Amino acid sequence: MSVVDTLRELKEQVDKELNDLNGSAGLEALRVKVLGKKGELTALLKGMGQLAPEERPKVGAQINEVREWLTERMNQRLNAIQAAEREAAIQSEIIDVTEPHDLPVTGSAHPITLVMDELIDCFSGLGFEVMEGPEVELDHYNFELMNLPKNHPARDAQDTFYMDDNIVLRTHTSPMQARAMLTRKPPIRIICPGRVYRADEVDATHSPVFHQMEGLVVDENVSMSDLRGTLEAFAKKLYGADVSTRFRPSFFPFTEPSAEVDLTCSACHGKGCRICKDTGWVEVLGCGMVNPKVLEMCGIDSHKYSGFAFGIGLERIAMKRYGLTDMRLLYEGDARLLGQLR
Amino acid sequence: MKLGMNMIREYAEIPVSPKEYEERMIMSGTGVEGTEDVSGGMEKVVVGKVLTCEDVEGTHLHQCTVDVGGEEPLHIVCGAPNVGVGKLVPVALDGARLPDGVKIKKGKLRGMISEGMLCSATELKVPQELYPSVGDEGLLIFNEEYPLGSDVKPILGIDDTAVDFEILANRPDCLCAVGIARETAAAMGTEYHGPDTSVREVGGDVHAEVKVRVEDDMFCPRYTARVIKNVRIGQSPLWMRKYLHAAGLRAINNIVDITNYIMLEYGHPMHAFDLGKVKGRQIVVRRAHAGEMLTTLDGVERKLRTEDLVICDESAATGLAGIMGGEESEITEGTQEVMFECAAFDRTAIRLTSRALGLRTESSGRFERGVCAATVMEALDRACHLVNELDAGDVVTGVIDHYPAPKAQQQITASVKRIQSRAGVEIPADAMVRILNKLFFEASLEGDVLSVKVPAFREDLDGEADICEECLRMYGYDHIGATPLRGSTTQGGVSPMKHLKNKVGRMLNGFGYLEIMNYSFTGLKEIAKLGLPEDDLRMKPMAIRNPLGEDTAVMRPTLVCDMLKTLSFNMNHMTEQASLYEMAAVFDPHHPTEEGLPTETQTLCLGAYGDQVDFFTVRGAAEAVLNGQGIACQAEAGGDCYYHPGRCARLTRGGVVFATIGEIHPAVMERFGMTRRAVVAEINLAQLLEYAKPMGEVKPLPRFPAMSRDLALVMDESVCVGPLMADMRKAAGNLLESIKMFDVYRGLQVGLGKKSVAFSLIFRANDRTLTDEEVQKAMDKVRKVCDDKHGAAIRA
Repeated sequence: MSVVDTLRELKEQVDKELNDLNGSAGLEALRVKVLGKKGELTALLKGMGQLAPEERPKVGAQINEVREWLTERMNQRLNAIQAAEREAAIQSEIIDVTEPHDLPVTGSAHPITLVMDELIDCFSGLGFEVMEGPEVELDHYNFELMNLPKNHPARDAQDTFYMDDNIVLRTHTSPMQARAMLTRKPPIRIICPGRVYRADEVDATHSPVFHQMEGLVVDENVSMSDLRGTLEAFAKKLYGADVSTRFRPSFFPFTEPSAEVDLTCSACHGKGCRICKDTGWVEVLGCGMVNPKVLEMCGIDSHKYSGFAFGIGLERIAMKRYGLTDMRLLYEGDARLLGQLR
Repeated sequence: MKLGMNMIREYAEIPVSPKEYEERMIMSGTGVEGTEDVSGGMEKVVVGKVLTCEDVEGTHLHQCTVDVGGEEPLHIVCGAPNVGVGKLVPVALDGARLPDGVKIKKGKLRGMISEGMLCSATELKVPQELYPSVGDEGLLIFNEEYPLGSDVKPILGIDDTAVDFEILANRPDCLCAVGIARETAAAMGTEYHGPDTSVREVGGDVHAEVKVRVEDDMFCPRYTARVIKNVRIGQSPLWMRKYLHAAGLRAINNIVDITNYIMLEYGHPMHAFDLGKVKGRQIVVRRAHAGEMLTTLDGVERKLRTEDLVICDESAATGLAGIMGGEESEITEGTQEVMFECAAFDRTAIRLTSRALGLRTESSGRFERGVCAATVMEALDRACHLVNELDAGDVVTGVIDHYPAPKAQQQITASVKRIQSRAGVEIPADAMVRILNKLFFEASLEGDVLSVKVPAFREDLDGEADICEECLRMYGYDHIGATPLRGSTTQGGVSPMKHLKNKVGRMLNGFGYLEIMNYSFTGLKEIAKLGLPEDDLRMKPMAIRNPLGEDTAVMRPTLVCDMLKTLSFNMNHMTEQASLYEMAAVFDPHHPTEEGLPTETQTLCLGAYGDQVDFFTVRGAAEAVLNGQGIACQAEAGGDCYYHPGRCARLTRGGVVFATIGEIHPAVMERFGMTRRAVVAEINLAQLLEYAKPMGEVKPLPRFPAMSRDLALVMDESVCVGPLMADMRKAAGNLLESIKMFDVYRGLQVGLGKKSVAFSLIFRANDRTLTDEEVQKAMDKVRKVCDDKHGAAIRA
């Protein structure tokens, strides 16, 4: 059989085998069998030595042509087989993506922490620095420097827990005003979030432990309108741009003038509803201009400097926000409730 | 404090509706809790005259015709026994509304038409003392002629709106009608007309009737008295009874009503003595003797302290000054002579006595809040004026007035500019003067200087800031603008502790932990459940002197009790699994601060239970928290006794304990009612912050290949892998990149009481490719230390 015939046969045979193949492994075996070092085509090339010298170039060219053809053909086939194999694998790996599955368990901060962090975020943007202080506090800071001398009747309203005659559980975050003024020089802009204590029996709206955030600004020429501007900025950040504030005259021994601040009721937008007792307003905080007596007691020249202070109750904001009607839920630690927060 | 609007109107005009009045008062500084119709919303109840009245056979009913001033009399069926022809009675017409909300409609009763209802005083909610009647025994019968068909409300004295004022702590002068009227006139811009205090005296001399001696001027800065002779005890007139009723007080008799009325009108608690029963006709105001006993009007025998002020007669203490009188000299039907006392007592003294004796009265409450000494005499005179007006007796000439140190009138000077700048409102200077004068100050202006004389009843003012508030509240808080903060900028931001808490919280939230908050106090019994040794400092926490209860009596020395309580709560509410944390202060009174306060240490407590939870998951969370602050720790077995002794560990570095983790001891579980195993961890956040390493530069990525070696060692079960690995690390030297334990095998092949532990060690240098020899040398050292120190040898 001539080389030409052999080549043709080889071509046909390989072509057939390629068509019959159905796996990439078989193809590799076939490649080795034909094109490998000991393969059939390689054998033909090696056998060229026995040919007449004049035939060699021609036969060599024919062999190479077949070799190229076979290589090309095999590559084509390989691509096709690999594609088919991948497709088969993909088909075999189909999953039901609509099946339910377990979610990664995520936790959450406590509602009070969430509200506190939002307030801190708002006030720190206005240049307020967070300051923390003791919860077990000296009477001196909690009362006396806040212009509530011993036996002042307003002390009764605070229902204080006493450790001894001089040590109390702070009834408000206001003692931090004194601590700030005694250790810093104006300009002072601080907020003090934290736990406070009143000897109130536990019920749906009272808790002996609750949270406040005190704010204090002391600088030159601070006025009541700066206070209002600051609180409006806070109110709008927390409740949206359409909320407005109402200042009502009030009394705190450590501020003068003093005010209670109401915000437009978010449930009825000021029209009046059950939540705001038909007033259209909801009380959120107490505030005022720092009483000059307090400034002086804390070593600040009340002629040169003035200041304002405010105290925000966090429980009320958190309860409103999350629709909690019973304050006890905040201190029960029920994972079924806390797990809903995000 | 409740007051009828009609009473306020006696002294100041109110030209607006109750709703608007409420609003105006609130915005000028007088709090209003609400208003209520004194009649309870009664409508269409009129005076009617019974024309005919026939018994309905076999029943207690009567069929009546009643003239209510209309064209035709009404047919009304009535069951009251006291109904009768010619009687004037209240008639609820068709469509009427009774105080309890019941509506009356025309209808049929046993086939008889009834076009309304005849009413009893009970149905109209009119108490006996307001309008005499037989109560619910029968109909209210009017005792005078009134036009038929006229509204019964004015006749019964219930045509009023009661306003519930909420008076601020600094304004005791507003706890009365006169005070409210002064504020009302200022807020409404109307005129104020004070009560008539003129007294018609009948001669005689008060000093001949009674002697008064005050022994303590500090506790009793002023004591005034007048004497009434020929007392004619009787009912007080309707106008007085209805004002008392609107304010929620009961009318009793004219003398007692006058004292109560003065309290409403002037805010001065008065006391009326039956002078005939005051032994020796002598009143002494003095401090009690130590241990002196006194039976007060409420029948309680009380032991007094020397800080208590008593009112005595010649022989003994008869009453507690300003708090409660004595039984003996009480006003009765038979009283002939009366001594009126109107005094000012020290608020602190009254407060302390009232507290010490647990005795609070309307009178003590008022003295505690502050009763002005300067206006005492005016109130006393007003009382005597009312005695004249009510013809309740004859006022003896003269007054007793012990007032050794009258207060001088207070003067304040203020700067108009500074007031404006404080308020942030350009209140015109002349408006300030006008406002202050309207509030009974005497204000005058000279340039920028505002000179203000403060009225005696205002004892709450002492400086420019107060004057600012007075001007601003009347000028209107709604004038306050909103300006953004000006002045020097300041660096805002959170404190390092808050920053740490934020970071730790976020990390734990990612691990699925929920934040909880518990009260900061707990009870000794709760702490005892932990089973700590007696001498543990946590067994002696800081105690609250006046706790709410036994279970909230001490400041918590650990967060673990509350964590276990909360875990138990969740277990008992069928929650399958929970991972919780709390970050809060624990209190240590045994290491006080420089100020003498207990040390407050911010602490993190983790607690978890559930199928996915074991010791290692919680230890992992704790380690992650520590690693987050750059603190890599080693675990050592051991922990507090409330942990399972074989399943607790401390995470330490350099001998410092950073965390304790453990499964809860079965006995402790039982005490807390825990139905499932739980793991708890405690981390001192203050310490963590102190030791935290700031994040520095990152390590460069490796440029040379690593060499990996596995090692399986057989050792006694008792050998702890943690310390073993620490030694391996040390022995391997700085070529060791990491070491990991990847398997623990226990079985017969390694022998009983033994375990085989497999480690994977990775070596790398950052400047060259390591040689086998280098790594082998390190591995030899590792093997040696394992063998020598821990008896852990290569598995044969």
